[in-house]
Amino acid sequence: MADSQPSAGRGQLRPALPLLLPAYLWLTVAVFLPLSAMVFFSFVTDLPMAGRDWAATLEHYAAFFQTDLYGRLLLRSLRLGLEVTLYCTIIGFPCAYVLAKVLKGRSREAVFLLVILPFWSNGLVRVFSWAVFLRGGGVVDLALNAVLPFEVSIDLMYSYPAVVIGLVHSYLPYMVLTCYLTLQAIDDSLIEAARSLGASRLTVLRRLIVPLAMPGLAAGAVLIFVPVVGSFMEPRILGGRSGTFYGTVIEDQFVAVFNWPLGAALSFILLAVVLAVLALAAPVLRRHGA
Amino acid sequence: MAEVTVRGVSRFYGSHVALQDVSIDFPDGGFYGLLGPSGSGKTTLLRIIAGFDSPDDGSITIGGADVVATPVQDRRIGMVFQNYALFPNMSVADNVAFGLSVRGTPKAEMSQRVSDALDLVQLGGLGGRRPHQLSGGQRQRVALARAIVTRPRVLLLDEPLSALDKALRVGMQVELKRIQREVGITTIFVTHDQEEALTMSDRIGILRDGRLEQEGPPAELYDNPVSEFAATFLGDANIFRGRSANGFLLLEDGTRLRCRSALPATAEGTAACAVRPERISLRPLDAPGASETAGGENRLAARVAKRIFAGNSISYLLDWPGGPLKVFAQNTGSPPIEEGAAVILAWTAESTLPLG
Amino acid sequence: MTLTRILHGLGRAYVGLVLAFLYLPILIMAVMSFNASPFYQLPIDWSTDWFSALAGNRSLISAAWNSLYIAAITTAIATTLGTAAALALHRYQFRGKKLLQALLFPPIAIPWLITGTAMLIFFFAVGIGRGLHAILLGHVALALPYVIVVVSARLRTFAPELEEAALSLGASQWQATRRVPLPWIAPGVIAGALFAFAVSFDQFVVSYFLSAPGQTTLPVQIYAAIRKGFTPEINAVSTIIIVLSMTLMLLTARFFRFGGEK
Repeated sequence: MADSQPSAGRGQLRPALPLLLPAYLWLTVAVFLPLSAMVFFSFVTDLPMAGRDWAATLEHYAAFFQTDLYGRLLLRSLRLGLEVTLYCTIIGFPCAYVLAKVLKGRSREAVFLLVILPFWSNGLVRVFSWAVFLRGGGVVDLALNAVLPFEVSIDLMYSYPAVVIGLVHSYLPYMVLTCYLTLQAIDDSLIEAARSLGASRLTVLRRLIVPLAMPGLAAGAVLIFVPVVGSFMEPRILGGRSGTFYGTVIEDQFVAVFNWPLGAALSFILLAVVLAVLALAAPVLRRHGA
Repeated sequence: MAEVTVRGVSRFYGSHVALQDVSIDFPDGGFYGLLGPSGSGKTTLLRIIAGFDSPDDGSITIGGADVVATPVQDRRIGMVFQNYALFPNMSVADNVAFGLSVRGTPKAEMSQRVSDALDLVQLGGLGGRRPHQLSGGQRQRVALARAIVTRPRVLLLDEPLSALDKALRVGMQVELKRIQREVGITTIFVTHDQEEALTMSDRIGILRDGRLEQEGPPAELYDNPVSEFAATFLGDANIFRGRSANGFLLLEDGTRLRCRSALPATAEGTAACAVRPERISLRPLDAPGASETAGGENRLAARVAKRIFAGNSISYLLDWPGGPLKVFAQNTGSPPIEEGAAVILAWTAESTLPLG
Repeated sequence: MTLTRILHGLGRAYVGLVLAFLYLPILIMAVMSFNASPFYQLPIDWSTDWFSALAGNRSLISAAWNSLYIAAITTAIATTLGTAAALALHRYQFRGKKLLQALLFPPIAIPWLITGTAMLIFFFAVGIGRGLHAILLGHVALALPYVIVVVSARLRTFAPELEEAALSLGASQWQATRRVPLPWIAPGVIAGALFAFAVSFDQFVVSYFLSAPGQTTLPVQIYAAIRKGFTPEINAVSTIIIVLSMTLMLLTARFFRFGGEK
């Protein structure tokens, strides 16, 4: 099953090395070194390159605390992360439940595939499709006008709700996937046993299903919350002027303002927040393995 | 405690007949076994009684009241599943307490009843463990405790011992009977193991292809099987087929067998009877006095094909023109009969059970 | 029992609604890309004008080729390196193995914004700079963990007794390796390759930061076009991309059954 050669013990690094080295070397150069560099650069005034003056400084971190701008935006992004995660949970969990417990066989496979499919298509394009959908004069208006007796023009574009909708649409499949995996591992006989002991459907849900599905819910929440907090593409496309978030500010430092060290500092703060969230979720997730 | 009655229950899945017009009375306080091969409908029937499935036809009453419309959680039954279905996210005590807590039982009463139930199944003190820390036998007992602590009217067991190994199984059979006697609850259990059914049940119902083949106390079923299937499924049997002639069973080779009672003949005059392997005595053809009538009026000549020594017993598989035969003999120390030997089989008319 | 049936029916309807939510915008976008009217007016004036206009759009076309090119190379590199690493992790035991396995998570778990900007800084500082080569560097790094995880999952289902059985029957080590485990893990490797392609082709954030003028990938180009203003050409190219991605996904699903069904 798992790993072979029980007698070999710990000293098998040698033969494994040539197989492991290329991949991990690549990851080091492209991911781990850059991340370390980013931490380093957040503490300097300017990039240490030829012809530039640079010195160690805490000014970028200070800037975070000096104005309330960054703090506010970070909170806004965190709030966005929580909202999107919440909606994805509320919408996604029942969907996963039906998929795991109600649908069977062919139809279950087919529907599962359909739910996962958008998840693997281009994220940018999906966000764009929402932009098309939500525009003033767009489909929503046409549909509503066909039904309602009076003229309406709902221009959801360039608003906070639009950003939320777009993000929920993008990340919903994550929650459905993780919840589905844990839910379908719950044996039907457990549910039947609870019913035979007199539990109503609601009680079964509350005391049996949700606790057992917790690892899936937690995994989904982490997979959604973390990227959303750092998102900038969806806010820019769907948010317009209401689309300023922590992620967009960081993006600005690199493509507009060119204050890279500040961008690095802000990134690092975001990373710290993300790691804190992951640390909180770890115990719940570890139960999944046990 | 309540009696359960099943009347004319049928269940179809598309064109597949799972149950066809089954009617059984399960007496109050009795230990009833539903026996049959897989696909016979026994588990379907159990699940319908429990409420996980509803019949397409017929009625189910518990304690005199029709329950077909009652959802499972209101039927006040206790069920033990084949894989025990213990809740992995709760301790043993919480598992057992589940049915009570769902009914809002006060805490003090709950913990008392839980510890009583655990003591009853001899798991006292293990309340703090988690299911995955228990052995198979222990899990089984937790499942049992959980089912009976709510004092249900009926206890339903779905192949409760099939997951246990042989030694454990025999011990648990005795345990189950003891607990059931003590609690006095109407118990219905499903099994495909005829030995299990024989040892534990007060009454047995044999199901075959969705129909009730025969039902009654174990001894009665064993001594008076109604059909070839019943004879061979519950216990072992040698089946003799032939024509009914003047009350005898005339075999193809001309041998006449006298049966215990008059043969019910079918339209074509064919008939069959069964003889249990342990009722047949075996003697070598050339033994002195072999042709005498000792041992019974019915006699046959055959040849030993195989001899199986099982310590306290010896089984003989015999070749006979009309088909293979089986004889089961206690090991009394008499000289063994070798394979290939020609023998005379003898048994009484009393042991020749007419079928049909 | 009927309550169960009602609830189940409601559940199915709900899933239908969710699917509608997921697909409606995409379908509308796809339909609209065939609408000659640039302002999404109904009734639909069916035409493929926008698609032909696309063909003339130099920047989009060159970006598309870049995307395909990079995705192909990324797939080749990531699949090779990743499969090798997965094999090593599966077969050998050594100290620090847990650490190595844990190190696969940061690239997936850390928001791409952070990884992307970090790459930008680092590459700039060490002289790698921006451009297609930088993008390739980044894409492979992002695809590697996925390939390793997918291939490892497949490896875990392989029983070593099969290979041992082959050896006991007289096969040489090479024959045993070629004919037993390799064919078994092949679907995993193919799934990993398809994953890598999808990750690279659909990658936006990292490509965005590592792009240089004239050296961009398709998603980056689309983003720039959207920032300038909506044109139905974007609709057309988006429709093409979505169809491509989904087809890729269907192929992957054939090779790697999701949902633990097997």
